[in-house]
Amino acid sequence: MNNLIVSKFMFSILTAFFCLSLIVIYLPIIVMMIFSFNSGKYQTLPFREPTFEWYVALIADSSFINSFLTSLMMASLASVFATILGFLAAYAFSKAKVPAHALLFGIVICPLVIPMILIGIGMRLQIVSLGIEPALWLVLLGQTLYVLPLAVINLKNRIDKIPQSMEEAAISLGSSRLKSIILILAPICAPSLFATLLLTFTFSFDEFVIAYFLTNFEITLPIRIWTSLVTGFEPKINAAGTAVFIFSLTLGLIAQFILLFKQSDLSEYRTQ
Amino acid sequence: MSASSNTINPWPFLLPALSLCLLFFLLPTLNMVILSLTTETGFGFDNFKLFFATPHLTQALYRSLILASSATIVASLVACPHAYFIVFCVHKKWRPLFLLAILAPFWTSFTIRAFSWQLVLSDNGVVTWFIELVTGFSVTLGILYTMNASIFGLALFGSMLTTFTLYGALVSIDHKLIEAASTLGAKPFHIFKDIILPLGLPGWLAGIFLTFIVCVGDYAVPTLLGGGLKPVLAQIMLSILKGTYDLSQAATIAIVLAMTVIICGLPIILYGFAKRRRFAA
Repeated sequence: MNNLIVSKFMFSILTAFFCLSLIVIYLPIIVMMIFSFNSGKYQTLPFREPTFEWYVALIADSSFINSFLTSLMMASLASVFATILGFLAAYAFSKAKVPAHALLFGIVICPLVIPMILIGIGMRLQIVSLGIEPALWLVLLGQTLYVLPLAVINLKNRIDKIPQSMEEAAISLGSSRLKSIILILAPICAPSLFATLLLTFTFSFDEFVIAYFLTNFEITLPIRIWTSLVTGFEPKINAAGTAVFIFSLTLGLIAQFILLFKQSDLSEYRTQ
Repeated sequence: MSASSNTINPWPFLLPALSLCLLFFLLPTLNMVILSLTTETGFGFDNFKLFFATPHLTQALYRSLILASSATIVASLVACPHAYFIVFCVHKKWRPLFLLAILAPFWTSFTIRAFSWQLVLSDNGVVTWFIELVTGFSVTLGILYTMNASIFGLALFGSMLTTFTLYGALVSIDHKLIEAASTLGAKPFHIFKDIILPLGLPGWLAGIFLTFIVCVGDYAVPTLLGGGLKPVLAQIMLSILKGTYDLSQAATIAIVLAMTVIICGLPIILYGFAKRRRFAA
């Protein structure tokens, strides 16, 4: 199949370019990981002695641990909220007749195609206008809004592929709409729901601007790291970066894996 | 079937999501527009006049534009061979894996990725060390804390984004189309020009649009790789809200940035609409 489009020569050029890109993409991350085990305060090569001291320092630093716990809580709640709201909205957009469909869908999706900083500033100015004190619950709602488009798009893709007849069957056999959604639609969507949960968690966990603008004192992990980066380097940032990278990467990869590989398994539900 | 499917009332399902959007997105946006138009004497465009009369703000806008467009151009060019390779050189079964390989860092913190480039590009970083090791001369790289470093960092991120959207477009091209063209004697160039290009273009443009949006509003890469001496608009907004706290100025800058995105994205948005209309007709 390949030779129809790509000649042997092109094939080798494309392969080489792709490998080069992989090296460029992963080089800095690998360097950061190496430095996180390097003793000595300065970030220079050659490598001195392997050490765990930065990881130990990281765990001993309560400001890091607290901000990590705050982030964990925010991301867990925001991802659950966004997945539930997203599932409901995706169901309506997919199966019901929504008036002004394009407009409403556009409004829900919009935060995805607007620079994050504008949304963050908008929220900050709004709470200042209303005289609300910056607080964590605002961050939670703000981040839910931020990841909601992802949830709606992912789940709508899935629900679009489920034939209406499945629900119809349940309802004609006496089930209520709500029951058919919970007992039929949700289980079919389970892999997508799980993937959406992980994906929205990852994005919310790494989110900076909204958290930065909507809190003053209870900071999240990205803010803690950012502060350290712009106000003076601490060597344990390498360790923190490595830990965060592996943590988010694992969750993100599992989510993406489910979305990319599990897509075809709906065929068994399709009617002839 | 149609009788009962029409009876779904969409509002209970939509209301939670829509009210969140209303409270945390539409209302703040409206508020921002009003704030940017509010002056000491009443309503007017004075804030915008002031913006364009302030050299360090217009320079920041100019830098934002140059940075975002350079990064977007580089990203869009780099993404093509990536997506092309994954879709046309890799077996169907392995495509998602290759896509994940190039997208993996995408799912992790933007700040940490920008920071990790500091380690590589700085004057006593890995690249310098490597050059000195190979050549034996001591060199000063001078890349970190320049515009070029920012462009590089953002282009790298944008290339992942564009690879992703372009992959989506290319992978859904029906392979029978290509086989048919080939059977009828089309050369690879014509297959590219008449099938792959028109079908892949929407995905490519979507990637370009999203990349530009992310780049023009980013503060992390310009701060960590570009340095703070020649700030872009996003950096100035960040410092206003945490420093001088001039709310109407912050709102004005935000609206200028939003207008920039809309104006720059307009050709692509219009293209999308034209395309959809043609399909609908």
